[in-house]
Amino acid sequence: MKIFRFIVSKIFLRKAILGIGMILLLCMANYITFAAARSILSTFQGYQETKYINQEGIYIANLDPESHMDMGLINENGTHAVYDYLNNNFNYAFYTDGFIVSIPNTDDMDISLGYMNEEYYKLNQFELSQGADVDFNYQFDGEIPVLIGKGLSTTYPVGSTIKMEESVLGRSITLKVQGVLKQNAYHSNYYALNSKTYYNFSILVPVNEEFMNHANIDLRLNGLMDITILQSTKEQIADLGEVIKDNLGLIFNFFSQQENYDYFNEYYLHALKIICIITFILLVVITCLSVWNALVGVRLMLKDFTINLLVGLSYSKLKKIFYGYFGILSFINLIVIFIITAFDRYGCWLRKDATFATYGLFGLIGMDWLALLLVAASDILIGVIVVESMLWKIKKIPISLGVLQ
Amino acid sequence: MLELSFAYILCFSLNLLLDYVKTLDLDSYLLKAFLKNFIDYQPLVVSLFTFIVIVFHYQMLQRKKVEIFCRILVGGTVFNITTRYIRDSLTILIPVYLLSVLANAYLDFNFFSNFYLVLILITYILISARQVRKYENF
Repeated sequence: MKIFRFIVSKIFLRKAILGIGMILLLCMANYITFAAARSILSTFQGYQETKYINQEGIYIANLDPESHMDMGLINENGTHAVYDYLNNNFNYAFYTDGFIVSIPNTDDMDISLGYMNEEYYKLNQFELSQGADVDFNYQFDGEIPVLIGKGLSTTYPVGSTIKMEESVLGRSITLKVQGVLKQNAYHSNYYALNSKTYYNFSILVPVNEEFMNHANIDLRLNGLMDITILQSTKEQIADLGEVIKDNLGLIFNFFSQQENYDYFNEYYLHALKIICIITFILLVVITCLSVWNALVGVRLMLKDFTINLLVGLSYSKLKKIFYGYFGILSFINLIVIFIITAFDRYGCWLRKDATFATYGLFGLIGMDWLALLLVAASDILIGVIVVESMLWKIKKIPISLGVLQ
Repeated sequence: MLELSFAYILCFSLNLLLDYVKTLDLDSYLLKAFLKNFIDYQPLVVSLFTFIVIVFHYQMLQRKKVEIFCRILVGGTVFNITTRYIRDSLTILIPVYLLSVLANAYLDFNFFSNFYLVLILITYILISARQVRKYENF
């Protein structure tokens, strides 16, 4: 330890610019690795989440990009006719969110309301930290049982009620908290798997047929956009497409399991491959620059190293000192990445961004810790390359020549 | 000379690369979100990257301190040595910058998008030039 402290303070810190250079290069390598790791992990999480709908006989609706939406042609009767057809002929999972309401809460966040039907609820199997599952056979005129996110659980514990003056039903409703979702429960966007909406400040409202019949056109139309048709066939889906077109004037595409797999392979795997290639190339460039920076250091500090080797410092000890020094630099960088990430997460709380506000140790969620672990692994790899090149350079020069230099 | 040219080329190339990425019309949201991590902080990323030029100047002056002292010993003046140092560095910087301007013109980018790099690099040259006088007395 004494010799380590001596070499670091008397040799490395005397040429601090080289140390700062190494820290900055490592910082860039860490940032690239962290960004890539988070993109890949987030996409993987999204893929895992959508796996349950990616089964044979399941079709996901999507408004055709070429389809022009003329709100003048869309009316109550049209949406009713579509949902009547759906109810009579299909099993379907209905979910829509993004309905923002102002409800008092300790963190002063705007609350997002999500509406789901029983099929969607069964498919997703939400994990609860408190309370019980919601019942979909509730009395429409009474209290509606709901699930809430962790952020609302202190203001609205299980069993409490939330009164809302305005709702998609066009009248005031009373919600009763039936259960609290596990912290950081999320929903991935089907068409951007790496993008998530966190439920910490959301209320999930169960929707039954009666509720749908009384809901306004916004809810019914938004719900159609991502509707998931279960246990169906291509022919039945084609008929549904015709019904939607006739009643709403909209062209919908319905994607099957195979089409979703093909889409994933073509779109996501391709993008992930490009991210991996970009990350690899940048890491190689940065590693080369780090080796150059380290060799410059050896060139300037050769005299000091060789004098220490002459008076008894062994190569193995020198190696340990180099690894220790590099470990300190990596640790500083990990702390920097950690602070940036924590600040980024905390920023969502400052901005009152309810859909991205998350809970976790020091504000970081599981995905962030995993990405940090990958960053640490990349640091170890770069460290081995840099330290071994430094030792190779030192060993190449005879001690006597080094002292003379 | 090669080392410094390479360091300058790397800095300008990084800036050019990020400018190019900005113009790409990507349909992949995933790729866009990933690249946004760098594009949003372009000036910061490129400025931090220029630190390799500081490392180059620093190590070169450290290695040349005996030579500087000897030159002064045989009649050279600090002023002349400093001027020559600045001139030589600029001789490398200017062609690299012009090359990057040509690349900007070829890719139809703004001519002055990388001019801030020239200012940063000139600042480095001037700061390191001041270090020359430190080796007047060996």
